[in-house]
Amino acid sequence: MTESDDHITCREVVELVTDYFEGKLPADEAELFEQHLNFCEGCAWYVEQMRATVTAVGRISEEDIPPKARERLLTAFRDWKR
Amino acid sequence: MIAHKFLRPDGTSVFTGFRWELPNGTPGEWVEASAEPCRSGIHACRISDLPLWIGPTLYEIELDGDLVQQRNKLVASRGRLLRRVEAWDDGLRDAYTRMCADRAHELTHSVEPRLEAWDAVVEPSIREGPALLGFVAARIAEEISGREAYHTERARQAAWLVERLGLEA
Repeated sequence: MTESDDHITCREVVELVTDYFEGKLPADEAELFEQHLNFCEGCAWYVEQMRATVTAVGRISEEDIPPKARERLLTAFRDWKR
Repeated sequence: MIAHKFLRPDGTSVFTGFRWELPNGTPGEWVEASAEPCRSGIHACRISDLPLWIGPTLYEIELDGDLVQQRNKLVASRGRLLRRVEAWDDGLRDAYTRMCADRAHELTHSVEPRLEAWDAVVEPSIREGPALLGFVAARIAEEISGREAYHTERARQAAWLVERLGLEA
C-alpha cells in the first residue's frame, strides 16, 4: 500500500519496482508508479537501470558461470543459509 | 471517443516504447490490444488527466472497442492517432512550467510562516520540466490545505492547458 492515494514517493518507487516489473501491482498503484516516473527523472533512470539489469541477468544461464565462480557462489549461499 | 496522448519526440510511448504510426494529414493506423490498465491496451488522457501525464509531444487520439475508465486515465482496446496538437511546443511547455513555478511560489507565500523549504525547491526544479513543476505546485497546495487542494490544483493546471491548447473541455 502507498502512503497517499494521489502520489507515491521515491522511496516507494524503490520498494515497488519489482512488483511493477512482474505486473503484480494493483492497477491504481501501477498508475501512481508511472505518474511518478513521468515527472521524476531520477526514479525514471533508476527504473530503467533496474530493467536493464533484470534483462541482462535473465540472459545468464548456469553454464555461463565459470566453475570457480559457481563454486564460490554456492559456498557463499551455503554459509548464508547457516 | 476522442482523447489525448503524450508521446516521446520520436513517436514512441513513454512507458512501453511502442512506436506509433503518426498522423500525416490522415489518421494513423488503428492499434489493437486488450484493455488491461498499466499492462496492455491503448492508454490515453481525458482533459482532466493531462497534467498528470505531461510529455514532450501531444496527440489527439480516437479510442474504440472496450474502454476502461480509470481514475486518472483511459484504457481502450483500439486506438489511432488523429493529429498532433501543434500548440504543445517548446514555447508552451516553457510557459506551462513557468506558470506552475509562479503558482508554487504564490502558494508558499500564502501562509504564515511561509513554506520556505518548499519554496526553495521550485526554481531548481524548473530544469526538470513541466511535469515536475505541475506536481510540485499541487503538492504544495496539498501541504497547505489537504488532499482536495491537490486535486483542485491539478484541475487548475488542466484548465490552463485547455485554454492555451485550444482544446474542448
